[in-house]
Amino acid sequence: MSDATTNMTPDPMLEAIVGPTPGQMLRKRIFGHQGLMIGVVVLGILVLVAIFAPLLAPHDPYAQSLMARMKPPVFLGGTWEHPLGTDHLGRDYLSRLIYGARVSLLIGLVAATISGVIGTAMGVAAGYFGGKVDAVVTYLINVRLAMPVVLVALAVVAILGGSLQVVIVVLGLLLWDRFAVVMRSSTLQVRGREYVAAAKAVGCSTPRVLMSEIMPNIANNLIVVMTLEMAHAILLEAALSFLGLGVQPPTPSWGLMVSEGKNMMLFEPWMVLIPGAVLFVLVLAINLMGDGLRDVTAPENRS
Amino acid sequence: MTFKVKALGMAAAAVAMIAAGAVQANKADGVLNAAFTKELENVDSYFNSSREGVVLQRAIWDGLIYRDPATNEYKGNLATSWEWIDDTTLEFKLREGVTFHNGEPFNADDVVYTVNFVADEANGVKTQRNVNWMKSAEKIDDYTVRIHLKEAFPAAIEFLSGPVSMYPNEYYAKVGPSGMGLEPVGTGPYKVSKVVPGSHFVLEKYENYHDSPKGQPEIAKVDIRTIPDVNTQIAELFSGSLDLIWQTPADQAEKLSTMEQFTVANESTMRIGYLTLDAAGRTGEDNPFTKLKVRQAVAHAIDREALVGALLKGKSKVVSSACFPSQFGCEQDLTSYEYDPEKAKALLAEAGYPDGFSTDFYAYRDRDYAEAISSFLNAVGIDTNFNMLQYSALRELRMKEGTPVSFQTWGSYSINDTSAITSQFFKFGSLDDARDEEVKEWLDIADSATDPEVRKENYSKALKKIADQAYWVPMFSYNTNYVYTKEIDYTPTPDEVLRFTTMSWN
Repeated sequence: MSDATTNMTPDPMLEAIVGPTPGQMLRKRIFGHQGLMIGVVVLGILVLVAIFAPLLAPHDPYAQSLMARMKPPVFLGGTWEHPLGTDHLGRDYLSRLIYGARVSLLIGLVAATISGVIGTAMGVAAGYFGGKVDAVVTYLINVRLAMPVVLVALAVVAILGGSLQVVIVVLGLLLWDRFAVVMRSSTLQVRGREYVAAAKAVGCSTPRVLMSEIMPNIANNLIVVMTLEMAHAILLEAALSFLGLGVQPPTPSWGLMVSEGKNMMLFEPWMVLIPGAVLFVLVLAINLMGDGLRDVTAPENRS
Repeated sequence: MTFKVKALGMAAAAVAMIAAGAVQANKADGVLNAAFTKELENVDSYFNSSREGVVLQRAIWDGLIYRDPATNEYKGNLATSWEWIDDTTLEFKLREGVTFHNGEPFNADDVVYTVNFVADEANGVKTQRNVNWMKSAEKIDDYTVRIHLKEAFPAAIEFLSGPVSMYPNEYYAKVGPSGMGLEPVGTGPYKVSKVVPGSHFVLEKYENYHDSPKGQPEIAKVDIRTIPDVNTQIAELFSGSLDLIWQTPADQAEKLSTMEQFTVANESTMRIGYLTLDAAGRTGEDNPFTKLKVRQAVAHAIDREALVGALLKGKSKVVSSACFPSQFGCEQDLTSYEYDPEKAKALLAEAGYPDGFSTDFYAYRDRDYAEAISSFLNAVGIDTNFNMLQYSALRELRMKEGTPVSFQTWGSYSINDTSAITSQFFKFGSLDDARDEEVKEWLDIADSATDPEVRKENYSKALKKIADQAYWVPMFSYNTNYVYTKEIDYTPTPDEVLRFTTMSWN
């Protein structure tokens, strides 16, 4: 009797002992995390918009029409011809916003990748080797932290001239500090673990230990820092472009759009509010995703 | 989001309306509050080159001669009469009984000192062009002076009625340009009661002002503050802490003109905007702009009517010659390039650029105009690498290496003569991008001839060649908006000079 029932329904006792697999738990945490889900969905939409910009944009973002300047968006009495109105040169605001997403995301992604490579290499080396290497890297981090990012970026861009490439490289070379700090401390935590000692004992080379034992175990931190720095780079690009030293016209950039709308802020506030709001949403989405990833991948460290 | 934007817009409008209701009456205390957009480096009019400086110069000092801005007629100011002794000597009879703000009487010594000081290049007057045509001055008696010119210079009267103002010899010898900048002393309708360098200037009516063609000042006190941001200026205008702003951008002026508590007046200025193209090949022998067809293509690519109609607005006009139309000798009957992008593309193809080319594009002011112009060029296949530089940086770059194409403007220092613009840029100076011998020869003749017909004829020849060769692409003349409360009665003049003397309370 009792045997038959055991076969038909899972034993609750057994269920409690075995529990869900780690994969199931992770999935549950991911889908149960509201912030993460919102961030991922919003960011996903913006990425799709950027990728399919030519299909989505109703007009050529570069086509100016001086006779149709500063047309209001549709919710302020405009027409559906230009749903979000036109800018000071009669270019379609929606199209420029859509193409501007490409610039922002490109800068965020590439700059964060460059600084990620630099910062991770330095941080892992410092944490793993310790001693003099650590001292040198710590010194470099301190030097870097002593320099105000915006000021240095402004100076370099002023000398080299503003363009998409220059802005990406400058930000990439400036934003590695947080990667280095986080990677260094994470490496310090894992380098004394048994599996690292075991790998060394079986004769693995140092690069092999770093790549196969250390890196996979600190990758979750890397992803979190990466998202934060992406948001940071996007905001810095907007700030530089706002000051006229970032991406140069006619390239559509949200920072540039805010800057161009600034003069009419008193009379046409939507010219500043629309690109500002989109920028806000993008950075918020990336930060929500970063925070969510931290919570999901390292729930025990949640503060 | 849509509702938020709308709500915020309405909130901003509401704030503006509340503020507008609270305009303070400054008529009561007799103080007119005005704003400058740019910082003035030095109040001493020989040691700044800005429009703000010209405004203060006309209020604080007087020249020997005065040009009536309404009729363009020359009238005696500190001089009562003048005559040409020969081509290079001018004799003046001076007005008697004039005193400077510090009590020093005005006489021939002041004129001699001032002219000899500014004409000496070693003293470093900022705009040499304004003074370097004078050689020296000579006292005949207490109220008679002769000014000797380096060479025949027919525009002398125009310059003497403009930038050349008379300084008190004893005071200037003592304090020099820096002292004059901090505590200016002149004979003008307004004396200065406070200077905070670059940011704050207070002028007070000079009670003993002589019987000048400028008229007697009516406004007792003028308080000028430097406020760089246009939105802040407008907000202060709403709140009543400013009574007058000027050089307001066209879009904002248009909005302000719909509000009944403000008068928005628009006047043209002598400033013109143009593209200068590297015809001489200074940036490289193979530079596309050395080809005539490419330069003509640029001229055909730009819709100047649209620029004027949509961006500059007001009294701006399309210009086709390399000077401002009212200037003496500014020929109007010459080649003009209509907007025709297809023709521009065809010309580029003929010149060997069927797919267009890429070039550096430079500008230093009016970013929106510059963007619009570069986008017209992009539309015909000239890909522009947009560079916005500070004025001084771009000037230096143009002097040293030249630029393939740059958007420039020139205001001629409000001097109503073609020599103040065309001759500045086409006589092989460091900013000459054309380097055309023939043009230089014609301009040399025109600049020094005393016969007006000869001058006219030679300016005409030079300007016609400049247009045919499209060395420059002249585009538009500028205008200035003056916005002031209904309490002020004022009629702006076309020379972009704010004249406090002709303002009064309604």
